[in-house]
Amino acid sequence: MIFLSLLKILFLILIFLSGSVSFSLAVDLRELIRTVEQQYTGQSSISAVEMTVVTGHWERHLYMESWSLGRERFLIRILAPIKERGVATLKVENEVWNYLPKVDRVIRIPPSMMGGAWMGSHITNDDLVKANHIDQDYDFTLLEETNESWRIEGIPKPDAPVIWGKIIYQIFKEQLVPSQIDYFDEEGILVRQILFDDVQTVSGRTIPLKMTVVPLEKPKEKTVMHYRKLQFDVDLKKDFFSLGNLKGRR
Amino acid sequence: MLYQLALRNIWRNRRRTLLTLSAMIISSALLILALGIFSGMLRDMLASATEQYYGHLVISAKGYQDDRDMFRHFSMDKSIENVLKQDEITGYSQRLRSFGLLSHQQNSSPGEILGILPSQEQTVTSLQDSLLDGHYLTADDPNGAVLGSGLAQRLNVVPGDQLVFVTQAADGSIGNDLLLVQGIFSTGDIGYDNTLVLVPLAWLQQVLVLPGQIHEIAVKTDQPLNAAALAEQYRVNLPDALEILDWGEMLPQMREVVASYDISRMIIVTILYLATGLGILNTFFMAVMERTRELGVLMALGMRPGQIRTMIMLETAIMGSLGLLCGAVVGIALSLYMALVGVDLSGTLTPITYAGGTILPRLHAVIEPANILIPSVCLLIVSLLAGFLPANRAAKMQPVVAIREE
Amino acid sequence: MDLLNLAWKNLWRSRRRTLITLAALSFSLMLIQAFHNLSYGVYASMIDSGVRAGTGHLVVYHQGYLESRDEKLSFNPHNLVEEIGQINGVEAVLPRLYLPGLAQSSRESRGILLTGVVPAAERKINPFLRSLPDDQWLTSLDGREAILGSRLMKELQLKLGNKFVVTMQHRSGELVSEMFRVHGVIKTGIKSVDKSVLMVGRNRAAAMVGSPDNIHELAIILEDQKFDRLVFPQLQELLKTHSDLEGLTWEKAMPNLYNAIRLDYASQKFIFVIMLLIVTIGVINTLLMSVMERFREFGIILAVGASTARLRMLVFLEALLLGLVSMVIGSCLGSLATWYLQAVGIDMRSFISETLEFGGVVFDPILRAGWDFPWMAKISVYLLLLSLLAAVYPSIKAGRISPAAAIRHH
Repeated sequence: MIFLSLLKILFLILIFLSGSVSFSLAVDLRELIRTVEQQYTGQSSISAVEMTVVTGHWERHLYMESWSLGRERFLIRILAPIKERGVATLKVENEVWNYLPKVDRVIRIPPSMMGGAWMGSHITNDDLVKANHIDQDYDFTLLEETNESWRIEGIPKPDAPVIWGKIIYQIFKEQLVPSQIDYFDEEGILVRQILFDDVQTVSGRTIPLKMTVVPLEKPKEKTVMHYRKLQFDVDLKKDFFSLGNLKGRR
Repeated sequence: MLYQLALRNIWRNRRRTLLTLSAMIISSALLILALGIFSGMLRDMLASATEQYYGHLVISAKGYQDDRDMFRHFSMDKSIENVLKQDEITGYSQRLRSFGLLSHQQNSSPGEILGILPSQEQTVTSLQDSLLDGHYLTADDPNGAVLGSGLAQRLNVVPGDQLVFVTQAADGSIGNDLLLVQGIFSTGDIGYDNTLVLVPLAWLQQVLVLPGQIHEIAVKTDQPLNAAALAEQYRVNLPDALEILDWGEMLPQMREVVASYDISRMIIVTILYLATGLGILNTFFMAVMERTRELGVLMALGMRPGQIRTMIMLETAIMGSLGLLCGAVVGIALSLYMALVGVDLSGTLTPITYAGGTILPRLHAVIEPANILIPSVCLLIVSLLAGFLPANRAAKMQPVVAIREE
Repeated sequence: MDLLNLAWKNLWRSRRRTLITLAALSFSLMLIQAFHNLSYGVYASMIDSGVRAGTGHLVVYHQGYLESRDEKLSFNPHNLVEEIGQINGVEAVLPRLYLPGLAQSSRESRGILLTGVVPAAERKINPFLRSLPDDQWLTSLDGREAILGSRLMKELQLKLGNKFVVTMQHRSGELVSEMFRVHGVIKTGIKSVDKSVLMVGRNRAAAMVGSPDNIHELAIILEDQKFDRLVFPQLQELLKTHSDLEGLTWEKAMPNLYNAIRLDYASQKFIFVIMLLIVTIGVINTLLMSVMERFREFGIILAVGASTARLRMLVFLEALLLGLVSMVIGSCLGSLATWYLQAVGIDMRSFISETLEFGGVVFDPILRAGWDFPWMAKISVYLLLLSLLAAVYPSIKAGRISPAAAIRHH
């Protein structure tokens, strides 16, 4: 129930997906990732996402629409399943609110509740908060280069506030999109994997529309995010992100 | 004949008899009272820890009490019901638990929501006695809530206000619904006052999408100090997937407190027995010792040593029993007073929260048969001994020597 | 004076009775003193560990912090640490910071309360840290080493040496994160402690929230509990210039511990009263009997010309002597018992059947006595007074003897 996380998921995807810039082969890895991130800055977007979460106890399919402006503002609304239709999350700078249509109430989420998995998925707060600073918090080396892809290893800088011991990116050279990211703990155990699929060109950018998060220690579980609609650089004003719009229309 | 002699001896020297008897009565009565007070304190301490929230025993899925994982739920079945039918069990309560966010207007706070059946819960816990405002849940409250004062303050609610509760349901969906604040409690324990909310079981089952499921059954027995043994007994009859824990396992620091209290109680009780015993010993011993001369005369007149001993023993036995009986009556009367009325110290002390419980500042007693029988029997034995020793001594003497004794 | 002599001789005429009564009185006094000293010692050690693990004998907070625990109520101690440290009787001054936040490992996250401490000072004082091996303790004020409770570590699925990230809200509203490493583990056996303890160097914690010099609590440990009466006023003096702060004694800061002990004392007093009553009855009995059996003798004394007053005085003196002697003997025995209970004590572990894991924090498994001399003296005097009181009725009886009837008696 931590809706904040969804925004960050969008960011996470968009960071790796804004690849319309061409690079020379002798690419500066940090530059690659930083540029990607900078490309995102100032972005606005509208999207419709389908999320599937499979845990040891249940399986869920959610259909959501979302709007974002920069990194400070977003609004997500759930369209399906019917039981949760109309549930919405609004983030404006440091404040987060949820709207619950069933009880017709808006509640404020205190900062202390920002932890844990969002909607029971395998996406955590860490992804979201840290995603913005990956280029600063890690040092990158090229592990392997084939005709199609790069394998880049990110090792956290000493004292960087990140929970991972190591991250390995698999990036397609031609489209500059990731195919897979592996997350390791300090002992080198693979804890989580994110797999990317369905590469499309949207608003002039090439991005994978499907992302699957797999927690390796619970092999039956996964979270799949699939964009059904996506638009960048849309005309969104700050005042769109308001409590009034939070309630929206059913 | 000896019996009649004994009786007559008793009434012959009324003063001495009354003295001895009164010493016996007062001593034994006070001892019984003291023991009652100790039992009362121990019970109070235990009650404070267990009767607010935990109960004496708890039945839940294996491992549930460690991580409180929502998915470790179960439902009531025949074997559990049979276990709960035992005589020692005076009450039980089915509960479902969830952790989530509570919200009222601009204020939100995380909380622990406990779904209960009011009629059942009140047989196990006593939060209904700690209400500051409003009233406890009733059977026909569809969505009532009783919450702790700290939480109520943070959310800024009073009875009649509405609360939103949000959590993740068992099917992964966002469980949310409204609660109507019915009452506010204050136990003095920050843990409960700042996080606990009682709601109807059915309401929570619906929000969590866990129809017919519970997380635990809290149980109250009439032998709280024996809870661990009872748990052992019941364990074998419960389904394999479930476990039963006693309060000692759930509140180990309380167990330490009770253990150390028990030890000091043992010490004091021993001291009390010794003191009382000494007093009785003194009295009876003296009473007989003083009659050495008289006994000597009897022996000179032809009474055999064995008869002397028997006569004295009879006297001692009669007086002792009489004294104990009256002492027991007085002791019980005093204990009853303490049990029902007690001494209220709340003028000088506030309720105490320690090691998981809240102790009310008052002294009261508990009447337990052991607290009456054991002292009575012990003191009787002491008095018999006290009478026997000098009687034996006199019986062994030469009559002439005895007569000459001062 | 010869009345006293007479009284003394009278006592020893019925040696057995006197000895038994003396024994009863002395023994009771010994038991009462020994037991009181035992609980005195146990309370003292309970207070001591409670105070050292908690808020100290005396504590300084921002106004309102004690009730609300609002982390925004922090303060800059300026020179207070040194100033308070200089007061006679102060053993240590511990500045502490308590910040709520989120701890995350690569697998789990938990809400935590980050405690910022001054490592050197804290180690010496805090009993929770007693069992921590040296190489597991914190060394620097702003290092990234952290001490975790054993349960918390397990829940986060961390091992010694692993890193984790703590996120909290900066003063400006932004969320900030820092990386820490598990350097040591504390296991107290108390669930709530083991689930929540997270200790780091104070400067690192303070810097995270953007108030580098601020703390929430200044815990003051005294060399001896009894010094608080002397030190507290001096503390209040020092705080006069800091109007936003308040100084509290441990009784106010930890009312639970305080009231628990007071309740126990109250019940103890009640029990002792009962005990003394029991003993007194025995004494009354004895004295009465001794008067009764000397009826004839007293009658003669009165017939020969002694006044009833002198007779009554005689009885009182006998009681006084009994009281005095048993007071002395009883106190000696009581002291001996106390000495034993202090040197050796009672090991609770031999009484508890199950293998109880004594945290050693809440209770030292060995119960030890302390020396409460004022109380011991007081109770001895009470005993003496009781003996005298016990003599009232017998002495009245003695005074009422009519010589003629008495001589004819039995």
